[in-house]
Amino acid sequence: MFQAFFNKTVSGVGPVFRSGPGRALVVVLLGGALAGGAALAQSQSGAGARRDAEPTLVPLPPPSLNFYGSPGIIDMPSAEMLPDGQFTTGVSSFGGQTRYNLTFQATPWMSATFRYNSIQDWNMGGFDTYYDRSFDLRFRLLRERKYIPEVTVGLQDFVGTGIYAGEYVVATKRFEVPGWGGRFGETGRLKLTAGIGWGRLGSYGSIGSSGDRPPYDPTSLGGEPAYDQWFRGPYAPFAGIEWQPNEKLGLKLEYSSDDYVTETQDASIFERRSPFNFGVEYQVSPRTRLGAYYMYGSQFGVNLQIQLNPKQPVTQMRIPAPQPIPQRPSQSSNPDAWTTAWTGNASVPAQLRDLLAPILLADGLVLESLTVRADTAELRFRNIQYLSFANAVGRAARAMSRVMPPSVETFRLVPLSGGMALSATTVRRSDLEALEFDGNATDALLAVTAFSDAPPLSADATPAADLYPDKSWSLSPYFSPAYFDPEQPFRVDVGLTLRGTYRPAPGWIISGAIRQRLAGNVDGGPPSNSVLPHVRTDQVEYAQYGTTLNNLFIARQWRPGRNLYARVTGGYLETMYGGLSTELLWKPVSSNLALGVEANYVKKRDFNQRLGFQDYEVFTGHGTAYYEFAGGYLAQLSVGQYLAGDVGATLSVDRTFDNGWMVGAFATKTNVSAEDFGEGSFDKGIRFRIPINWFLGKPSQQTFGTTIRPVQRDGGQMVSVPGRLYGQVRLAHRKALTNQWARVWE
Amino acid sequence: MMRPARLLAGLTAALLLAGCSGGVDAPTLQLQVIDAAREAISARTNPAAERPPVTRAVLNTLDGTFMEVTRLREDQTAFLYPSYTTRDSGPGEIVVWRTDSNETVTVRGGVLIATRGLGGDLLSTEVLLAGSGLGPAAGGARIFQIFGGNNAQTTLTLACEVTDLGLETIEIIEVRHATRHLREQCQGSSGAITNDYWIDAGRGLIWQSRQWAGPHVGYLRLRQVTD
Repeated sequence: MFQAFFNKTVSGVGPVFRSGPGRALVVVLLGGALAGGAALAQSQSGAGARRDAEPTLVPLPPPSLNFYGSPGIIDMPSAEMLPDGQFTTGVSSFGGQTRYNLTFQATPWMSATFRYNSIQDWNMGGFDTYYDRSFDLRFRLLRERKYIPEVTVGLQDFVGTGIYAGEYVVATKRFEVPGWGGRFGETGRLKLTAGIGWGRLGSYGSIGSSGDRPPYDPTSLGGEPAYDQWFRGPYAPFAGIEWQPNEKLGLKLEYSSDDYVTETQDASIFERRSPFNFGVEYQVSPRTRLGAYYMYGSQFGVNLQIQLNPKQPVTQMRIPAPQPIPQRPSQSSNPDAWTTAWTGNASVPAQLRDLLAPILLADGLVLESLTVRADTAELRFRNIQYLSFANAVGRAARAMSRVMPPSVETFRLVPLSGGMALSATTVRRSDLEALEFDGNATDALLAVTAFSDAPPLSADATPAADLYPDKSWSLSPYFSPAYFDPEQPFRVDVGLTLRGTYRPAPGWIISGAIRQRLAGNVDGGPPSNSVLPHVRTDQVEYAQYGTTLNNLFIARQWRPGRNLYARVTGGYLETMYGGLSTELLWKPVSSNLALGVEANYVKKRDFNQRLGFQDYEVFTGHGTAYYEFAGGYLAQLSVGQYLAGDVGATLSVDRTFDNGWMVGAFATKTNVSAEDFGEGSFDKGIRFRIPINWFLGKPSQQTFGTTIRPVQRDGGQMVSVPGRLYGQVRLAHRKALTNQWARVWE
Repeated sequence: MMRPARLLAGLTAALLLAGCSGGVDAPTLQLQVIDAAREAISARTNPAAERPPVTRAVLNTLDGTFMEVTRLREDQTAFLYPSYTTRDSGPGEIVVWRTDSNETVTVRGGVLIATRGLGGDLLSTEVLLAGSGLGPAAGGARIFQIFGGNNAQTTLTLACEVTDLGLETIEIIEVRHATRHLREQCQGSSGAITNDYWIDAGRGLIWQSRQWAGPHVGYLRLRQVTD
């Protein structure tokens, strides 16, 4: 009886599914596809909502950026905030000075900028060309209203050696004005900006002074917030006008309060003849704006501005349409179909598993085990395709609906990572059947779905047929960059990585990677000058070798108890360290808080990265608290001992987006003094990760990104361990599942 | 230190060698990017062959029901077959029309309620149907749930009003059909849309319609080419 039901549902014929007749012929004669036009979603202009036009989700054009990568005029800032979450990058150049800017609008009222700049013909302090890094912060004080301008306070280059140090309070008011030259006859926009600047921004035409400002000190180690100089010394007014006659074009005029004292008097980089700057900008594409300027009465300048918003993917995600949830025959009219007699047949679970596994695999899910009872079934699976676990759970539920006998009413869906059960999503099959075409299917299903910790695997579970031992391998290119060497700011090695992974049983993994460099120049970087043990600054020594064992380790992961996750990893953990790593994590499925402890005993590897070790070994470990705040802000506080034997704490805050984007910053303070630490005084940096599906528009779990430290030193450094627990667990827990629940029916 | 030229050569070599993988694990980041690049290049260098015009003579050789769906913004056309038909507690018959490349367009009583596989899909729609269960009700709210880029849905609520434009005879690939033309105009704070339906009440089907499928997909034209 049940066999007949399987045949109907699985092969896709019979009363439940009607497939297109004469399919082969149809493909030849008709065929066609509707996909392929995803990029066109971007071709719409962001002219804003017009009541008679079709609704659009394209946002309004963001503010244009200044030469420091912040919203502004040309060299001066404005008070505007970028759209929430905006991630901008760009490069500006004039008078031999080039600035590479990275700005992130971390909250609607606060943005942060990281900058790398070069100044040619510096000829001071032993530098021919001077390179520096700097951070800015901007806070909105007042939001623009009808009669009130937007008001923002900014701290420019507030840590570091302070070449660009300056503070300001600025106001901007926007007006709608008649348009000119626009394609759709839209209105133009006029922005008036005025502000008061200190430091560099108070150096020309000052109208007063507030206290003493310490002079710029080129020998400072930098790195500490320079609060003793904020808003001190001479202050001067600045102002500007931006006119955007249409969506593409912008004309800018400003009065600059920056006298460029160091650049024009201490060094002679350019001649400053006038405080007035002029510019014209053009929006080349929805994300790219290009500007040309005449500056300070003597110089031409250019500014390339690229703005991305994590919430607006380059390509809309396109996932092959799922198979619908079949309706079971009604129990009253067809009671035979609902028989549970099959539970007496010991071979049924294996038959069901064999029907289910290929359906799951076609959707990028790997069946690990199946437990079937008369009215309940539990599926444990590995998700290798979807960054969103809601998507994976939804596909798993659909597959179960197509295979399970009608009497099975409750589905429990358990994603696994490295053998660990991450969570259990429990849905009723009749809810799936009733809600698939509901007007708000997403919220309706969420209301009747339960999330909980996965129970231990039951003794009568049917494991996957031929999954273990499971082997995977890959040969793929790699790119390994190194930043900010004053001789050559960007270095990179490229080559091939051969990786092999062997999983002898659930929870066990043996994995290794060999790298062969094909080209690169990281080996030409500067040698370490650190007075601490060289725990991270010997990267150039490590870059001397072409064929290296990147890592080789054995790991075991398991669930020691309710809400607990555990890992032991041993071997060559990363390029520089090998040893033993253990970790225990407490993370209830519905909790925003997680607590973890990690203890590692590691030895420094030989520079040639083969099997040998150097004479440096250390115990390093941390206790870490993780907390997910509303709005996607993820904070981590780690306290413990670092690689150089120093003791201290690391605080990081990341803004995570539900589509997998992550942008964050971190800082570590340990008992190493600023003098011993060296340039930068303490360890800090920024990091970001972008899922490739955001560009490619098809499901993938892969992300790319980088961590940028203004300077790499030896204090406050951790060992890098493959497969840390929190990252495996978080995305399959309640908060991520419910936030991304819109994916469940896709 | 290596010269830039040599660096560039190394980069190119690494990309060309590309790589490969095997086993259960998903391909690495680099391999997925290379695959996508290859696909994009081959799509550009080998554009899909132009399909010969579909004539009634061709359609007559086929057995079964087909719907021609056109994305009007991109002018892309595909022929879809009804892969699944069902009813739930709501009014109207639900039909999932499917392409061979796994895109679907779902209608309830002939009114578009969902798309899948198009990118930026219409996740679900709250619709009111006419008493007969075919075509839109005379008026009322239409609530669209649109897939947004941040793995979340965006709700658009529009107020709709239907005008009967009277009897109209339309032609679909050499066959003429007597229909009643209904025009549905919907308005909200975010904008306005206009859907058109050419309904054959006697046969109980909508021969042709032009319906909005959300801000990412835009308007679709649906024509039932065989019944």
